Amino acid sequence: MCDTCGCGLTSQKREVVSLNESLLRENDRVAKKNLEHFNNLGAFTLNLISSPGAGKTTLLEKTFEYMPKDLKFAVIEGDIETERDAERIRQKGVHAIQITTGGACHLDANLIHGAIHSLSHKFKEDGLDMVFIENVGNLVCPATFYLGEHKRVVMLSVPEGSDKPAKYPKAFLTSDVFIITKVDLLPYFDFSIDEARKLALSINPKLKIFELSAVSGKGMEEWIDFLLGFLEKKKD
Amino acid sequence: MHEFSLVQGLLKRAEEIASKKDARRVLKITMEIGPFSGVVIDSFVFAFDVLKKDLEVFCDCELEIRQPRPSFYCPQCKKEVELFGTNEKERNFLNNLSSFIARTCPLCKEAILSPRGSDEILILQMEME
Repeated sequence: MCDTCGCGLTSQKREVVSLNESLLRENDRVAKKNLEHFNNLGAFTLNLISSPGAGKTTLLEKTFEYMPKDLKFAVIEGDIETERDAERIRQKGVHAIQITTGGACHLDANLIHGAIHSLSHKFKEDGLDMVFIENVGNLVCPATFYLGEHKRVVMLSVPEGSDKPAKYPKAFLTSDVFIITKVDLLPYFDFSIDEARKLALSINPKLKIFELSAVSGKGMEEWIDFLLGFLEKKKD
Repeated sequence: MHEFSLVQGLLKRAEEIASKKDARRVLKITMEIGPFSGVVIDSFVFAFDVLKKDLEVFCDCELEIRQPRPSFYCPQCKKEVELFGTNEKERNFLNNLSSFIARTCPLCKEAILSPRGSDEILILQMEME
């Protein structure tokens, strides 16, 4: 019955529910579970975000060359298609899990969750020191999804141009580390390190910034020391 | 392009709530999407209009999106600073986000301002019957 006048017409009651909840609530819940799994494995975890071709896989290949051989690493590779990146990592003797999203432009916490079970199974005896998540090449979408990582790294290569932090603010806003890659190409491109630094720091003053080239090796030692610093902290 | 994934998540959550409340139809969803959320509002609305047609409970559902203005912090003045004028063009910061990055503080005229928050994607409320 209609509540207002008793006219005999049936009327559905309209209800307003206040929620005020994050749309990413479910993703963040799974991400926190992922973080627990990474902690149980003893793995310090980094999420690498950049546009395609900025040099994420190359930086990882080079990182493993510089790292002490007694440390245990794993890589979770996110790509739309192919096992190519995982194959490149395996060539370096590092365990790699390939996630192919089949079109999706980013990794989310659920996709990582599947990969973690396989890692937990394989490394349950020995544990791991560090896990790198190489996100799908894209400077926009991956920034929205927390995966359960300890630190987020945003990368920008010299050929892309130093104005990119202003154009893709969210990736810089949500990251802890900013790496300028391919600095061996600086003489050939109109890239201003000062501009890239200034823009990135204005968006996020807490960013730790590296300038490096995986090809020439410039800046690699600072990057490796930085990573090893997290492992020392873990032991304390 | 992740707007489709976000809308899928929204409809899944809204369907859960509607079924918990025994609602037959969801009439309106109100969201708050911050200027630094990385969400393109037009794509979000487009995805909503496409995906809602798959589910009867959302067939007439209206979507309202509120966009808060970003706030900016000056590390030297140690306070939040208002960057927006009153005219419509200056208020339309979403089309012009990059011009609000690395701006000098209008008060001390020295320090570079940093955006504060404004990257939330919230479901504020749902109306259903």
